[in-house]
Amino acid sequence: MQITGMLYGARLLQFVGFPASEVLGPAASEDEIKALIDRHGQIFIKPVFKGGVGKKGKAGLLGRARDLKTALAEKERLYFVEHRVGHTVAKANGVSFEGGVPAGHEVYFSITDSTRFRAPTMTLTHHGGMDIEELDKTQIAQVPFDPLTGLKAFVVANALTALGAPRQIISPLVQHLPKLWELYHDYGMTTLELNPIRMREDKNGRMTPVACDFKCGFDRDDPRWRRLNLPASLFAVDYSDFEQEINQLRTYQGQSDVYVINAGGTILAPTFGGGANSLVTEMLGDDAIISSDFGGNPPYEKMKEVARICFKHWIKQSNVLFIIGGKSNNTDIFETFRAMADALREHFSRHGPTPLYVVIGRGGPNLVRGFGAIRDTLDALGLPYRFFGFDSDMSEVVLHAKQVDTWMKSGGREQVAARLGIAARQEA
Amino acid sequence: MYKQGVGDFKYFVGISSLAQVATLEDRVCVLNILGGESSDVTPVGHVYSGGNVVFGTAPGKRGQVLETALGNVPVYNNVLEGINDGHRFNCGVIYLPPAAARDGVVELIRVNPELKKIFIVTEKLAVHDSREIRAMGQANGVDIFGGNSLGVADAWNQVRIGGALGGDHPEEALRRGSIAIFSNSGNFTTTIATYLRMAGWGTTSSISCGKDVYIHFAAPEFAFALSNDARSKAAVLYVEPGGYYELDAEFTKPVVACVVGRWKSKLTRSVGHAGAMAGGADDAASKERWFMEKFGVDGIFTPEHPVYSAKGALVTNIAHIPAALTAVMRENACRPDFAVEGNLALKPWFGASHGLSLPPALDLPVVEATAPYNAQIAALNRQIGAVLPRQSMKDASGASQMDARTQVTSLYGVSMLDAAQYPLEANVSLALLHEPGGENDRRLINVAIGAGLNLHGHPALAAAQATREAGNAPNSVLAAAASILGPRCQGQARQAARALIDGFAAAGVTDALDEDFDLSRIMIDQPDLFVSDAADTRAEAMLAGLTARGAKSVFVRYLLSLPGHPTEDAVLAAITTTLAWGPLMRKRVSRLTAESLPWWMRLFGALIGASVTADQHQPESFCRITTADILQQRPLSEVAFVALLGLAPQPADLFSFQMLMGLLLSNGPGTISAQGAKGAVAADGPEDPERVQLNKGLTGFLTHSGYAHGGNGYEGIAFLIEQFKDTGLVDPGDPHHGIDLKALASKYVEAYARYKSGKKSSGSLDIQKIPGVNHPVFKDMPVNHDPREVFIRKLLAGRQEYNVFHEFYGVLVQTLFEAGVSRNVYCVNIDAVIAALLLKMLWQPYRSGEYSGSALETAAFTVFLYPRMLGCAAEIDDHMNRGRNMDTRTPASQCRFVA
Repeated sequence: MQITGMLYGARLLQFVGFPASEVLGPAASEDEIKALIDRHGQIFIKPVFKGGVGKKGKAGLLGRARDLKTALAEKERLYFVEHRVGHTVAKANGVSFEGGVPAGHEVYFSITDSTRFRAPTMTLTHHGGMDIEELDKTQIAQVPFDPLTGLKAFVVANALTALGAPRQIISPLVQHLPKLWELYHDYGMTTLELNPIRMREDKNGRMTPVACDFKCGFDRDDPRWRRLNLPASLFAVDYSDFEQEINQLRTYQGQSDVYVINAGGTILAPTFGGGANSLVTEMLGDDAIISSDFGGNPPYEKMKEVARICFKHWIKQSNVLFIIGGKSNNTDIFETFRAMADALREHFSRHGPTPLYVVIGRGGPNLVRGFGAIRDTLDALGLPYRFFGFDSDMSEVVLHAKQVDTWMKSGGREQVAARLGIAARQEA
Repeated sequence: MYKQGVGDFKYFVGISSLAQVATLEDRVCVLNILGGESSDVTPVGHVYSGGNVVFGTAPGKRGQVLETALGNVPVYNNVLEGINDGHRFNCGVIYLPPAAARDGVVELIRVNPELKKIFIVTEKLAVHDSREIRAMGQANGVDIFGGNSLGVADAWNQVRIGGALGGDHPEEALRRGSIAIFSNSGNFTTTIATYLRMAGWGTTSSISCGKDVYIHFAAPEFAFALSNDARSKAAVLYVEPGGYYELDAEFTKPVVACVVGRWKSKLTRSVGHAGAMAGGADDAASKERWFMEKFGVDGIFTPEHPVYSAKGALVTNIAHIPAALTAVMRENACRPDFAVEGNLALKPWFGASHGLSLPPALDLPVVEATAPYNAQIAALNRQIGAVLPRQSMKDASGASQMDARTQVTSLYGVSMLDAAQYPLEANVSLALLHEPGGENDRRLINVAIGAGLNLHGHPALAAAQATREAGNAPNSVLAAAASILGPRCQGQARQAARALIDGFAAAGVTDALDEDFDLSRIMIDQPDLFVSDAADTRAEAMLAGLTARGAKSVFVRYLLSLPGHPTEDAVLAAITTTLAWGPLMRKRVSRLTAESLPWWMRLFGALIGASVTADQHQPESFCRITTADILQQRPLSEVAFVALLGLAPQPADLFSFQMLMGLLLSNGPGTISAQGAKGAVAADGPEDPERVQLNKGLTGFLTHSGYAHGGNGYEGIAFLIEQFKDTGLVDPGDPHHGIDLKALASKYVEAYARYKSGKKSSGSLDIQKIPGVNHPVFKDMPVNHDPREVFIRKLLAGRQEYNVFHEFYGVLVQTLFEAGVSRNVYCVNIDAVIAALLLKMLWQPYRSGEYSGSALETAAFTVFLYPRMLGCAAEIDDHMNRGRNMDTRTPASQCRFVA
């Protein structure tokens, strides 16, 4: 859940009265764009991506214009531009027009929670406008501060003095930067980065910091970000339909975190526990369809609903239903397995059987009753299975599931299908 | 701002040795002690620790207690009340929801100056709150574990605080030894302890530190406390990506670090552990490197490539931890704490290949689980039949379900359209055994129900006849008969069924049709349940029926092997147990259902029987069919056809009858008939299912049928008779009937249009609807179809069966539209199909005067009662198995008073 760019950034900064460059959205009229150019001399045209997409400038995805014609040409070039960072491809949908601010002084500022200091930490340098990683450590101030009192003016002042920042920028930054703590702390952020902040000089020579780019990340476990009334569509890009359906069930008790790893995978692995999730997803690799953590003792109804959604989206393409977790401490195995068994039976009743091999590795309270519930269902459905207790090496169980998947891919699926009296692959 | 603690940390740390993490002296206060998770977990930890919880809080619940095996733990509204009551504690445990956890920390710190440790179990804490919690703990000198921690446990002290480490049986995982565990995962804390035990290593302190962004008691502090703990010779760390905690940990004792999550670098957000998301140089690969540098090794330990030093080993798979630890400790001249307890080889506890030819590597044989799980599995395997959880079954059913889109109801997953293609006897099996009966099942059902049809001399027949003669509708007649067939009429057969189930399950019979099963293995010590000295002619007639039909049953074979004469009850029980055996073994049905089957068979037979007047019941025949013929030859559907219509069955008529029986089985749990049946069960109290009177359940269904529900089928018939009375129609099945259906329809439509406009002009909106036309769901298309009608039409067309009444309905809806009476082409609904099917069978006897109008009406009503009897039996059985006492009642608050 990230926001990048000034289109929304400027609006967020308004909440705490931090000056920002003037921004027009994709719907800006030619007259408005012209007026913006007239006011600022130069404007920047930036593609609008949903979510967090960085390094646009380096990729040449930044347009500059001093006249309307150039501005419109850049708009056309960047409106639907594609941007690739690593494996991730993002497609723009719109552009923003941002009034230029002279780049005499460029400041980098961020707040994040540092696990080294175990406190909120300000990172500040007056050598901004570039990647922070490219600067020498002596040019950067990293200062943890007390969250109970917040980011105070003296923290900023001390940091800038220690860095040897130009005197004329210290006072305006000391005056404005502490406001950002409120934005960060009161609206559920986990990172906030302004880079660059440019210093705009008024006719009296007084400087005002102006945020010219914006990036922030929100904590999805913190409801405070909802206070901002941001459109839900802003974050929708992060979630597939499946994930969104599951997310509706996400509560603090009974986790239901999912991530679609490979929508073409063949092992559906409802996983219990964050640890098991790490181990299992790593070992399954691209064979896994989803990465999930359904631990935390979900009640029957919720587990059944989660399983129903998983089966609805993925069971048809799955060779192996792989239910896996360590030895649970308080997740009731009977309740969770009974729920999954019932969901599977109902899925088969409603949508017909599908060739499937079931592998389970689990331990915890009511284990044998849980195994019993799911065994009875699988026997009734005529599906093959192997269940392992906690005394089997979990990684070996994962490998077993992978081997079963390989076997299913090389003729096993057809065998199971024949046993069920159906075709091995059915139209979706 | 932080309070100065131990060591030279730049922040507060209070714990100087792992021995102080969970001690026998620690006293605990649990916040939200009565919450769902705490009320399960806290009693176990309390008892394991010898009673370390002094009190708990739950706002507004002062005076309540948390029951534990060591006595009750008092509950207060808040912490201060507990302290004022004289309780002292140094550990706070937080089970509050995320939004309240921070306030819980504040409360604990503010009111208890003796507080030393806080354990936060709460998951999904906002980072905002965690950073404030951190600052408060630092300022006040309190060590904090979590959030998202499963607490800590100490195998030496046998103390567990703040979570569920070790689950319900901490002693199973936690055996005293020399290894400390520090894990980002609560589940893996226990799993690693279990793995270590199998390799001969016990534990000292086990810490589930959680994996939020903020880990308050983290790796550096753990390393420090490990150094100062004389009990701990080494440690195991389980580490996920994200955070620099481990980088700064300085270990002075050997360590096995398990770092997982390389793949997580591909993710753009966390799954499971909120903090397991690397921000840069804190990904899994970096962490692997940190540990390799600490240990002075250049690779990852695997059993194939064991890379380790005296300082430690890095693994990326938790299953490699025991081997790595043993190798590292060997370098340190340390042997395991105790003898190896097991191994981690693949051991399937359960498995089935269902006849697949698996490669040998996958075809793992099932092995016996370790104690106590082996005994539990053995007990599970002894359990016969399904056991369903009880819940309120008001307006709910585990048997039937109507698809709101198609309006097609299904019973145990079989749609009524499919059920319409099975004979009646197969649908008996569907209703009670959840699957349509196969050939052998049908033979058995034909005998079981056939034997109960003839009520000659039975009081049920007298009751039915008296009810009929008093002018009652068919439902009341059948209800009178059902009332006579109370629990006593089936007691013997139920006992026999019970004994058969016990005896045959104990002998390991899996296939009820097994012709070769060695009957000497059956040990049932109550032979008088099955046989008597005198011959039972009814039993013999049933046995002869089974033989004549070639029905197979290991249970009947057993009866015949006993000395003496099998009784009628025993034969019935043997038949029904044969029917139930497969579903019972597959846990599709409960034992209760299996034991109730004899009663159901008696009831079905008696109700079909009672629908016929008393004079049709003769000593040796029923409806002029001999008993021997019924038991040995005729399918139930044929006898029921004769009973209902009194006509000689023709193949086409029998097919129509079968379709009617299937279509009318059920319309879901919301129908009045089903509600009556379910209400009768709820009133008896299904939680004591032996007391549920199945015959009264059927009476409930029957009293909840009537002229408007069930008896309304006659409306369609009356309508068709009215249209065709002057046409001279001879054979409704003859497509060359010579009748101008269009003209017939136009004549009616013209009259109906006049009637309608007359009503409208007189201001009345009470316009009579045309029976069999239009439907509240299938009504908005230009041309509408009831999918059930379409299905039947196609089915009959495929059989080249013509029905002029059905055809007429098709012409009628078209004519209504063409004449502007309807705004679109109405559908011909399922009621029209039923009327058309029934009238086609009865047209000729009706025209010839053999059949009176009232007999036609009775037949139209009874044709509903036969199949719905089965559908409602399914609801009754389902409700008995799943429901709660009185669960169909409506709370007074939801009832309305109408003045």
